[in-house]
Amino acid sequence: MTADLIVDPQIRFWVFLPIVVITFLVGILRHYISILLSSQKKVEIQQLADSQLILRARVLRENAKYIPKTSFLIRKHAFNREEEGYLMQKRPPVTQNMMTDPTMMTDMVKGNLTNVLPMIIIGGWINWMFSGFITTKVPFPLTLRFKSMLQRGIELSHLDASWVSSASWYFLNVFGLRSIYALVLGENNAADQSKQMQDQMSGAAMAMPNDPKVPFKAEWEALEIVDHQWVLTDIENTITQSDG
Amino acid sequence: MTNVNSSLDQLRVWRENNDRKSREIIEIWIRNLNSNVQKLGKEKPLVLEQVCIAALDCNELGIAQKCIQELYKDFPKSLRVKKFEAMFLEAQEKYEEAIEILDNIIKHDETHSGAKKRKIAILKAQGRNVEAIKELADYLKIFMADVEAWQELSELYITEQDFSKAAFCVEELILHNPHNHLLHQRYADIKYTQGGLENIEIARSYYCQAVKLNPNNMRALYGLYLATTAIATSQKCSSQKKKEALKLSEWVLDEIQSQYKDVEVSDMEERLGALQLN
Repeated sequence: MTADLIVDPQIRFWVFLPIVVITFLVGILRHYISILLSSQKKVEIQQLADSQLILRARVLRENAKYIPKTSFLIRKHAFNREEEGYLMQKRPPVTQNMMTDPTMMTDMVKGNLTNVLPMIIIGGWINWMFSGFITTKVPFPLTLRFKSMLQRGIELSHLDASWVSSASWYFLNVFGLRSIYALVLGENNAADQSKQMQDQMSGAAMAMPNDPKVPFKAEWEALEIVDHQWVLTDIENTITQSDG
Repeated sequence: MTNVNSSLDQLRVWRENNDRKSREIIEIWIRNLNSNVQKLGKEKPLVLEQVCIAALDCNELGIAQKCIQELYKDFPKSLRVKKFEAMFLEAQEKYEEAIEILDNIIKHDETHSGAKKRKIAILKAQGRNVEAIKELADYLKIFMADVEAWQELSELYITEQDFSKAAFCVEELILHNPHNHLLHQRYADIKYTQGGLENIEIARSYYCQAVKLNPNNMRALYGLYLATTAIATSQKCSSQKKKEALKLSEWVLDEIQSQYKDVEVSDMEERLGALQLN
């Protein structure tokens, strides 16, 4: 323990640097592959119509006072009619067609292809190829708890915790190269794996895409309680008074 | 090179302000840009589109064709360029071929509103107003918030003299843009044309609103005068209402006279020009 370890300089050239270079190049490669595979999001015509419908309903609610009462009632009827009103239309629940929609599936497969698969393959290959090397040492002492993080693949209980094993060095690179990618590829690149993983974490919450039912219901309620007050009821007197 | 830059700046300003200025654009193109297509840099496609539309406006088909060819070189499969090609055919009145291209675009992208609008424009150009109205109504079922389409539909209904439907469209425009005095004035025009005491009373209210929003709107003042005299001479009306209408019409006449007192004849054209609803 007292005498310090001396690491073979060959390790620097054949383990330490190759891992950096490989992770970096894989990131660049993934960036370009995901550009190649990315398909332009097609807007469903139904979705477009729904959003425009909501826009129109909102405009009607806000500016209803500028049109005569009968005109407002005609529109309200068209939107809120019991059976066939625009806002009462039934839409197939979105979660169902997510599984049956083939484009959704290919998108998911593509996502896996560019994110998860290379992570497993490259990680596994590096673990197999460069297993068991001590690559570098962090320049400060660390407690024993860090051993599992920094010394993956080396199960030596007496080794100082500040030494870093090859497998752990790979992971440090995966998470630490983000700013370098931003420098090389510009912002919003697809090379960064840690961001993808965050996306996957929060993805579960995001997976509920805009279900038109909810805004339809809200808009229906809001329109139902609008009290129509025509602003022009007394306009004749107001203009003659203000000018004369 | 400085020439090219200043022209590009000018074109950019027009593009951002949505100014059509087709003649001027074509002049700039012929003077400075025509021989320097490669120097346009990043803005090249945008400038080419702008010039292309301007050229079609001015019937400079050669220039339009050159723009489309340049665009096709850069974007061989673009639907956007295809639409320009359709417009080029339209300008030559080759409507069948143009519709073929537009149908193709719509088949590729159902949500391509531009292509659908062009098809309606072709119907209108051929004078097939009834079909154009039908197509436009179908279009508006999907793109409900498209204000320009509502305006176009109202104008088509007016040419077909279907005033109640035209009024509905203008109501829609007012909902989207309640502070435009020209829309209120147009609505009142339609209601006045429809006739009947109730409609004329609505027309009176909306002429008043137009005058309130823009006290210089002479057409609305005249309309208000006509509407109030119509109410005052109506037989169905109560004497109380007639008295009010007379009072209002006198006020309007004063207003009109005081406005004309200090207006030179040269100003008139300007004022008439400001009354166009575009």
